[in-house]
Amino acid sequence: MKSARTRRLVESGIAVALSAALGLVKVYQLPQGGSITAGSMVPVFYLSLRWGARTGVVAGALLGLVNFVLEPVFVHPAQFLLDYPLAFGVLGVAGLFRKLPWLGVVAGGAGRFLSHYVSGVVFFAQYAPRGTSPWVYSAVYNGSYMLPEVVVSVVLTLLVLRALPAPEGL
Amino acid sequence: MELLRSLTLGQYVPRASPVHRLDPRTKILAATALMVVVFLVRDFRGLGVFAAFLAAAVALSQVPAGFVLRGLRPIWILLLLTLVLQIFFGASGGGTPLWRLGPFVATREGLVQGLFVTARLVLLVVCTSLLTFTTSPVELADGMERLLRPFRRVGVPAHELAMMMTIALRFIPTLVEETEKIMKAQMARGADLDTGGLLRRARALVPVLVPLFVSAFRRAEELAVAMEARGYRGGEGRTRMKQLRYRAQDLWAALAVAGISVLVLWPGRW
Repeated sequence: MKSARTRRLVESGIAVALSAALGLVKVYQLPQGGSITAGSMVPVFYLSLRWGARTGVVAGALLGLVNFVLEPVFVHPAQFLLDYPLAFGVLGVAGLFRKLPWLGVVAGGAGRFLSHYVSGVVFFAQYAPRGTSPWVYSAVYNGSYMLPEVVVSVVLTLLVLRALPAPEGL
Repeated sequence: MELLRSLTLGQYVPRASPVHRLDPRTKILAATALMVVVFLVRDFRGLGVFAAFLAAAVALSQVPAGFVLRGLRPIWILLLLTLVLQIFFGASGGGTPLWRLGPFVATREGLVQGLFVTARLVLLVVCTSLLTFTTSPVELADGMERLLRPFRRVGVPAHELAMMMTIALRFIPTLVEETEKIMKAQMARGADLDTGGLLRRARALVPVLVPLFVSAFRRAEELAVAMEARGYRGGEGRTRMKQLRYRAQDLWAALAVAGISVLVLWPGRW
């Protein structure tokens, strides 16, 4: 039992590192500034499917903090929580869908989009003047990179799972 | 396909300055307090005093000012957008017109408000940069563990989080290097990683990701075995080589932050 605990802890740490490393590989640069990474969410999805949602959420939240330490963007306390620990922590819900990994990835990705989306709205409510529509802007901006990113993640997670099955709990 | 170009992990700038020597807990708490203060400031005078204080702290930290300004790079579009939007729409309904751009009127009130929120954003970013420039990622993880310790009672796994963070930070450079190596190896075999549409590129990444996952998870297994062989049993009763300890300088820093907060926020000051 003890051994599984250490194993889970170390695998979480390494998965976070792998996510951060893959995040540095930009596969596709979008014209308006966002970019698609080489499946930077896949390690966290894989970890969640392997160890369960709890482990995935903790590792995801940690990935958020690591991303913050690597390149901090802090403009509002709510924005910080939504864009970092929450946005990435919610990726872990993929672990609830072990029977249907693709649905798990979609759910996790949708959660992350929602978190960035709300953060965008909060930010614009704070800084942009009345009259501009934060809802539309935030949806367009965050959707433009999250949608392809989720598509890439579904494909890659499924293919990685096929090559490297994730036995539950190990 | 160059990813290692700018891999100084995190943004730590090693110097032997008084700011670097502060306890990481002091710095995390001070940065948090300062960010709250920036949000509460309501006038330019307050922002000015605050900016002077931050500038002094940056000077004391011996981090080149250019580095600090570079921290603004990820958000400069955001800054510009905020400023422009505020100039034209900041004064809802009315305001003194300054100039026109097609149907849009720039107002004096909008300009003032735009400068104010932009200055606030810049100060916020400088606060975070100062923390990450003067505190190494490992120190940050250490400080985080100690600060979260009181929350263990409510189920926050402080030790586990800090341990994972330390492992993650330690292995990011290793895994970046490995990613690059595998990508080059597959390209040498004719893999075409950067042409075609999105799905094509995603599929092309499979021969990179699979070996990467195999080696990363094997690494994890070896590390777990090595840790247990050395008696790792989780956070309880674990000792450390470098103990965090508050010193006199931490008290001074705390007093300085408290002082500046009062000075900036006191309603009827001066």
